[in-house]
Amino acid sequence: MTQPPASGVVITGMGAVSAFGEGAERLWQGLREGRSGIRPLRHARADKMRIRVAAQVPETFDPAQHCSERTLPLLDRCSQLALAAANEAIAQSGLDFSAGDLALRTGVIIGTGVGGETTHDEQSRLIYEEHTGRVHPFTIVRLMVNAPASQISIAHGLHGPTFAVASACASANHALAQAAAMIRSGLVDVVVSGGTEACLGFGSLKAWEAMRVVADDTCRPFSQGRRGLVLGEGAAIFVLESKAHARARGATILGELAGVGMSADAGDIAAPDPAGSARAMGQALADAGLAPEDVDYINAHGTGTQANDVAETEAIHRVFGAYAARLVVSSTKSMHGHALGASGALELVAVLGAMRDGVVPPTMNYVAADPACDLDYAPNAARPMRVRAALSNSFAFGGLNAVLAIRAPG
Amino acid sequence: MTENLSPDEVASQVIAIVAKQAKVEAAAIKPESTLKDFGIASLDAIEMIFDIEAHFDITIPDQGANFDTDTVQSLVDAVDKALAAKAAGPDAAA
Repeated sequence: MTQPPASGVVITGMGAVSAFGEGAERLWQGLREGRSGIRPLRHARADKMRIRVAAQVPETFDPAQHCSERTLPLLDRCSQLALAAANEAIAQSGLDFSAGDLALRTGVIIGTGVGGETTHDEQSRLIYEEHTGRVHPFTIVRLMVNAPASQISIAHGLHGPTFAVASACASANHALAQAAAMIRSGLVDVVVSGGTEACLGFGSLKAWEAMRVVADDTCRPFSQGRRGLVLGEGAAIFVLESKAHARARGATILGELAGVGMSADAGDIAAPDPAGSARAMGQALADAGLAPEDVDYINAHGTGTQANDVAETEAIHRVFGAYAARLVVSSTKSMHGHALGASGALELVAVLGAMRDGVVPPTMNYVAADPACDLDYAPNAARPMRVRAALSNSFAFGGLNAVLAIRAPG
Repeated sequence: MTENLSPDEVASQVIAIVAKQAKVEAAAIKPESTLKDFGIASLDAIEMIFDIEAHFDITIPDQGANFDTDTVQSLVDAVDKALAAKAAGPDAAA
């Protein structure tokens, strides 16, 4: 690797909506305390599904609290969640987009696996099941995959490069990587970036059921007896900023997005290849100018499927060698579920929380060691420890890998 | 069409579906063969289970099996079990 270390992108705001409710802090406290956001599936047709549990945003979430009355009819649930999270992140950053040309030099890059799936599902039901012959006129603007990015740009008057990034379960990390690249290139000073997903409609739940990767009990990453992933929903959005810009205005820096690594397995459409994920981790380290022993923590992709957890463990061994045994690796999906295109963003909240508080969140629901998963997964209890630098892994169906390298502020 | 099948009939119909997916002659498939032996990768195995479910009008549970590493016999057993559950009534079939 000959790229110079990327030291130029910092995080100055974060917001989230998750199974723990509204707020990045609420998400982080839940993870830190090892609480579970996984509950019995809340769905009108739950009796017609084999999927029993999910990590859903609580019913108390009220989109009207987060967007104008005029905007509300235009929003799919995935945009509602994204707006709530973006509002929080932007407020925390303290940025004033009306100042100078900042709004022109601020982009919005939002990852989502499938975008407005709730809208798609509801409106399809109207024409196929109820034979209404017509759907709501806002169906297109609600379901288009760029809607969350567009709605954030509209709500905050941001005029820079704005678009969606889609790579299934790696969407948020790919979006954040793209945002960082744009800042490093000098194209923009600020990017509002992260991921959102809300796709727990009947059709897509049935599709996940058919794929036979969803657990019927709970999510037990890396553990013996794991039975698959547990679907989640949510959004986490960040304000990324060039370090120079953040320093010039005296902003509080939550962490540095120090490097990114991206790769494609170019093999199986579903089965993970440790060579591909190892390459992405290695690139993220090199891009950040980090040696393996600089890293204290990996927030794993850790879905809880048989295949992922073994392949990810092997990939970590390949990249870190003997040092792998000294890393702490945890999967917070055991608590916030697998929010697909939002998951990398929810997990970045976990990484920043771990750095701030000196506590690594646990891998919950861990029963016993699987011989093929032999790392330190912080089973069932948070681990007080200093985190100087961390990796956050996301690996998607389609063989797409995106890894973030984060350095603690200071 | 799949009601009251003899165990041999169930086995031969399962083997026919496996043979089709694996693109091999049914005669080449032994009860102790694994799907992996025929190059059936995980996603293909899931599709094959889907075909078997449709053929027998049954639901095979998600867990307790690794379809690509288990034997054809274990697949036949899973079908027998699901057929028995179906015969016992809709409440038992879940």
